[in-house]
Amino acid sequence: MPAAPPFDPQAISDAKFEERAVRPGVTTKRTICQTCDIACSVVAEVEKGRVVKIRSSDNPIFRDNICMKGIMAPKGLADPTRIMKPLKRVGKRGSGEWEEVSWDEAITDIGERLKTIIEKHGPEAWTVSTSQWNTATDHGLGRRIMNHVGSPNWISGVALCAGNTAAVNRFTYGWFPMGDYANTKCIVLMGHNPRRHSWTPMYNFIRQAQARGAKLIVTDPRRSSSAERADIWLPLKAGSDAAMMLGWLKVILDEELYDKKFVKNWTIGFDDLRKRVDEYPLERVAKLTGCDPEMIAKAARMYATDGPSIIPWTPITDMQRNSTSGIRLQSILRSVCGYIDVPGGERLEGFNPDIINESAIEMHHLLSDEQKAKQLGSDKHPAFTYRGQEVFREPTKRVYGQEYANLIMGCHMATPSATFRAMAGQGPYPVKAFFFLGNNPMMSYANMPLIIEAMMNQDLIVAHEHFMIPSAQLADYVLPGDSWLERPWLMDSFGWMSSVRPSEKAMEPPGECKSTFEFWKLIAGALDKPELVPWDTLEDFYDYRLEKTGMTFDQLVKKTDIYFAPPKFRQYEQKGFATPSGKVELKSSILEELGFDPLPYFREDPPVDPKYPLKLFTGVREDGFFQTGHRHIPEMRKRHPAPLVFVSPGTAEQFQVEEDEWVEVENELGKISIKVAIKDAMPDGLIRIPHGWWKPEMKQGTGHLSGALKYADAQLCRDDEDYLDREQGIPHLKGVPCRINRVKQSEQSDAPASEMEPAE
Amino acid sequence: MSINEKLLRKRERSAALMLWMAKRSSYNKSLLDKACRWAVNRATTLPPEEDFLRDPLIDSDEGFDADELDRYQRGEISKIL
Ligand code: SF4
Repeated sequence: MPAAPPFDPQAISDAKFEERAVRPGVTTKRTICQTCDIACSVVAEVEKGRVVKIRSSDNPIFRDNICMKGIMAPKGLADPTRIMKPLKRVGKRGSGEWEEVSWDEAITDIGERLKTIIEKHGPEAWTVSTSQWNTATDHGLGRRIMNHVGSPNWISGVALCAGNTAAVNRFTYGWFPMGDYANTKCIVLMGHNPRRHSWTPMYNFIRQAQARGAKLIVTDPRRSSSAERADIWLPLKAGSDAAMMLGWLKVILDEELYDKKFVKNWTIGFDDLRKRVDEYPLERVAKLTGCDPEMIAKAARMYATDGPSIIPWTPITDMQRNSTSGIRLQSILRSVCGYIDVPGGERLEGFNPDIINESAIEMHHLLSDEQKAKQLGSDKHPAFTYRGQEVFREPTKRVYGQEYANLIMGCHMATPSATFRAMAGQGPYPVKAFFFLGNNPMMSYANMPLIIEAMMNQDLIVAHEHFMIPSAQLADYVLPGDSWLERPWLMDSFGWMSSVRPSEKAMEPPGECKSTFEFWKLIAGALDKPELVPWDTLEDFYDYRLEKTGMTFDQLVKKTDIYFAPPKFRQYEQKGFATPSGKVELKSSILEELGFDPLPYFREDPPVDPKYPLKLFTGVREDGFFQTGHRHIPEMRKRHPAPLVFVSPGTAEQFQVEEDEWVEVENELGKISIKVAIKDAMPDGLIRIPHGWWKPEMKQGTGHLSGALKYADAQLCRDDEDYLDREQGIPHLKGVPCRINRVKQSEQSDAPASEMEPAE
Repeated sequence: MSINEKLLRKRERSAALMLWMAKRSSYNKSLLDKACRWAVNRATTLPPEEDFLRDPLIDSDEGFDADELDRYQRGEISKIL
């Protein structure tokens, strides 16, 4: 038996657990990195009024949660090309001709022009694209102003990344659960691949769980680093996740591996589900997924019997034509196996009762039914629009104490594709004003050519940004945004979890950069509604939100790194689930009401055009970048000098391409230039391209857009009906037909891009 | 397979205790807080050879020089992408 650990009170109270020592003249601030969307608690070291270093937190619960992007932030945000003053377009849209103006001048003109557009076309003619993952201090204020003005047309990248998952999870059990990594015994990663420098805390959780003995199942067409560490790796065909889960359910139901008591007491629609699942015998699933039936069965048994298990959120099922069924099947697996709201399973945390949450700040109840009905895309693809989510008002109030729960901001959105069509003049009514904040919409949604057309058809475009990104190049105003080093923040996980974390401001914003909070405060004033944002400062706003805790924001910062109520499990035993029936709806009453199949299904790929024999997998992030950002940081660009298409040795041979060769990847929608990287971890017939490439040093403005027209994957992302999810209308990014074209190498240059086309 | 109620309750208690310790560990003020931090620290520390988060890029990072960042921001230091 190992000896008992020595327990010395003096050693415990020692400086060992105090902050690490810093150089003389350096002070520290406990802050939260917002370089990517995972929000690591970190420490900023400050010298001479500047953040000079970002390091991991001293709190062991956040141990070593930091990556290369985080440590590079002080330099990335001190970039000489950062926009410091408001810019007003003076030439033609996209001409690249700007003049510096004051914030006052910009906001007065924006307010006047927005009011004119609303008067002429109605409030629905104003659309906003953003996400609080990127802007942080929006806190629902944008939606609050839109709801008062009367526009339902808010769009976001969360429509195809976590927000839609949250909305679709509600169909089954009324909330979006979070996996309990600390206690789980089995983790299923569906194509997601958290790494040391990408989604570091998740990587940390998964590796810690594995070190404790938890099992890991990975479903991924490529042999990812997670697949290499997995107990079971299922190399499924891209986009066949829903078929795989139907196969798992077939095994789990046939072999009676499900939680009978939970199913009997807390679910509805089990018999209908069983009939649907019977349509997917393993031989059929093996054919649809390309995986060995024995391995499929083994994985299903592991998930059901080695638990409690978790299926953490994955972007893979967010971005495919069977997305709704895929996300529903994850919810159904969790439910029938009894993993909902139990330790080691997936917790339905609900709101933190002590904090005024962002859903409440948004004030969705004020938007009239008439305006809600105008939300773009809700007629055909209603899942995450008001039309698909309004039915949750009563059940959410019953269980979680308020009618609206805009989890991950994803539960009351317009659909992006329908919005861009309307902006381009192809919708039910005109949309003429477009604001985007901390967001590069042209490259972040499907069908970039349509988005450019839509932007060129606007009367007013306002960007709130750090840099002259390709989308900002088409704006009327580019207003300088602050960064996470330069503002306080209250991180409330956007309703996903009930914990709250404070982040201290570490330095003053440079130039005239302002927070999103300040941006919306100014816009509210310009629209003659200053009462909508009555707080003078962000700190005042946070004091208001924290009032019930009995603490101010400053006091919260001093008290803790994280604030949460004691956990409660199986809360459904008191109030039921926040669904219309109060039960877990294996057969969804809401989808049925909306006219869709209430049970999960698998829609096979449309017939393949022989001109495009390969499948394209996009949306992938490189370690050094997040989304379309960070291409301006020399250290990151040194790591990733050019976009790379990953191809298997077999595919390389078939298309006669070689390592490092420039090629074109083409499909029905467009083509991009990219360099070949041959990877034996890739399966034949599937190629993978990275997300969000442009080069800030390349020529700006229409016809160039800093290389976005040459490299951006959004030019290949189709949004025609065949490649949209039926219920949500989000695009299929995991297996679109394409081909590789060889090009004359002389047409491309290996010279550094900075020499190729100098910045303007 | 239905989970035994007794086992489930035990798991719930132990998960709640872990979270309570994480909370106290984050306060890090009283002796009890520090004891929790010590315990959390111990429970989450791996031997260096098994520590999957060790990374030379992160571990050797020394940050930046404030004056140099100023000059960089003013465009006085060349930037080659
Ligand atoms: S993973 Fe990296 S970029 Fe993302 S929040 Fe953490 S430190 Fe920042």
